[in-house]
Amino acid sequence: MKDRIATVLKNVPVSDGIWYMTLAFDDLDGIKGAQFLDIKLPDRSRVLRRPFCICDFDAEKKTADACYAVVGGGTEVLTGVKAGDKLNVLLPLGNGYAPEGKKIMLIGGGMGVAVLPAIATANPDKEIHAFIGFANKGKVVLEKELGKKCASVTVATDDGSYGKKGFVTTVAREAYDEMRPDEIFVCGPEVMYKAVKKCFDGVKTPIYVSLEQRMGCGIGACLVCNCKVRRADGEGYVRVCKDGPVFLLDEVVL
Amino acid sequence: MSNLKVNIAGVEFKNPIITASGTFGFGKEYGEFYPLSALGGICTKGLTLKKREGNPPPRVAETYGGMLNSVGLQNPGIDHYLAEDDKRLAKEGVVVIANIAGSTLDDYIAMGERINESSADMVELNISCPNVKQGGMAFGVLPKNVEEVTRAVKNVCKKPVITKLSPNVSCIADNARAAEEGGADAVSLINTLSGMAVNYKTRRPVLANNNGGLSGPCVKPVALKMVWDCYNAVKIPIIGLGGITTYTDVLEFMICGARAVQVGTANFTDPTAAYDIAKDLEKYVSENDVDINDLVGTLILN
Repeated sequence: MKDRIATVLKNVPVSDGIWYMTLAFDDLDGIKGAQFLDIKLPDRSRVLRRPFCICDFDAEKKTADACYAVVGGGTEVLTGVKAGDKLNVLLPLGNGYAPEGKKIMLIGGGMGVAVLPAIATANPDKEIHAFIGFANKGKVVLEKELGKKCASVTVATDDGSYGKKGFVTTVAREAYDEMRPDEIFVCGPEVMYKAVKKCFDGVKTPIYVSLEQRMGCGIGACLVCNCKVRRADGEGYVRVCKDGPVFLLDEVVL
Repeated sequence: MSNLKVNIAGVEFKNPIITASGTFGFGKEYGEFYPLSALGGICTKGLTLKKREGNPPPRVAETYGGMLNSVGLQNPGIDHYLAEDDKRLAKEGVVVIANIAGSTLDDYIAMGERINESSADMVELNISCPNVKQGGMAFGVLPKNVEEVTRAVKNVCKKPVITKLSPNVSCIADNARAAEEGGADAVSLINTLSGMAVNYKTRRPVLANNNGGLSGPCVKPVALKMVWDCYNAVKIPIIGLGGITTYTDVLEFMICGARAVQVGTANFTDPTAAYDIAKDLEKYVSENDVDINDLVGTLILN
């Protein structure tokens, strides 16, 4: 891990308030699914980098992608970055997710979907079934990209304007009994993890979640991005950036 | 002849760049980016007698030209530090400053004793953390408390003691004098400024702790003025910090009276920030053939 200078190949809007950026590096090694990158903004009034999950990558072309929602001033600055620009980027950061089982169920909600393509890319030998949920049709992203890499992709929208109607957690739960995956990986807002906990209650399959928290250094030194987990030695804070972002759902204190 | 070495309370630093407590952990993570021996010194995360969990998240909020944090002195405790980090740090070839904190005067005294067991070269007394309810800044506000806690630690601690001063006081120069009176070997300043970030949509503070400590380039003018004020108030060396991002910031702090500096928030913007600043400073002194010590306190007022 080190800081690298990346060349921006592409930075374009792909749906309602959501952008897709492709970064090229001189060298790029050992990316697992569900790791993240940390971009130094081209704006000196902002002292913190912006962390995004590595949405996808290409080991041969030495590229890594970020799919981000424009939520504040920092991400707004990022939309001004043009192809050909150079950015200072840290990657790959975080523990990532390397499934042990053969059949994997991926569940993504909203921007949480952005972490799924890289998991499929990093695990070409696994049978991956993706369930992706959005508020409405205008928010749907990455369906096509996931379709190329996964055994199946099921889309759900809260209002039924596209795909199946309802929460993606419910749709995935309905498919679970027949599918019998070896592992489940979920990424989305915290409310979704609570829903998964509830509707997958009693299910023995290991469920992994990727957590998000406001970050400082991104490398484990500053202790600002902590989350609470419950383990054999009791409850305590761990670092989302270094100890995570992927944890077993059972140990996360929601 | 060009020179970057500085001496504080008998401890020699190969250059005046020290990483600030709380921004650098115990050096392990940044050691993956560059050899820590390139720095003058490192300040550890604030250590307490017992492990501390710290405040609930979110603990950070970015602000214009800076950031607020409300970590709340999360640390693994002195026993863990001595077992896991102390020996590793001793081999890094860099001055190690152990930052110690407490909730009561007895805590500080106990920490001042326990830290004698470590191989740290110096001790920085954290009496200015704005993020803990008891202790912390309570000891750093009134001059008589600054003097009392400094003296109490000096009585038991065999290592040189740096008292870290809070800017959230009526007159920081009085507190620097109080630290000197209490026997401090040096003072470092400024710790973070107390502040708040607010979300107008939710009408709530962004930080779970409501308040936090402001740091980053936006605090630099405040810090420079306070370093100059303290330079004119005490004879003991001053370590300056507050928003240092480039080698020219270092020069400004030294001209205002700092004998060494600490780099904090800049480590978050760039993990190699402290290293880069040290390299740039080395280039500056060699190109301009200056002894960095000759700059200290040379501010010419208008």
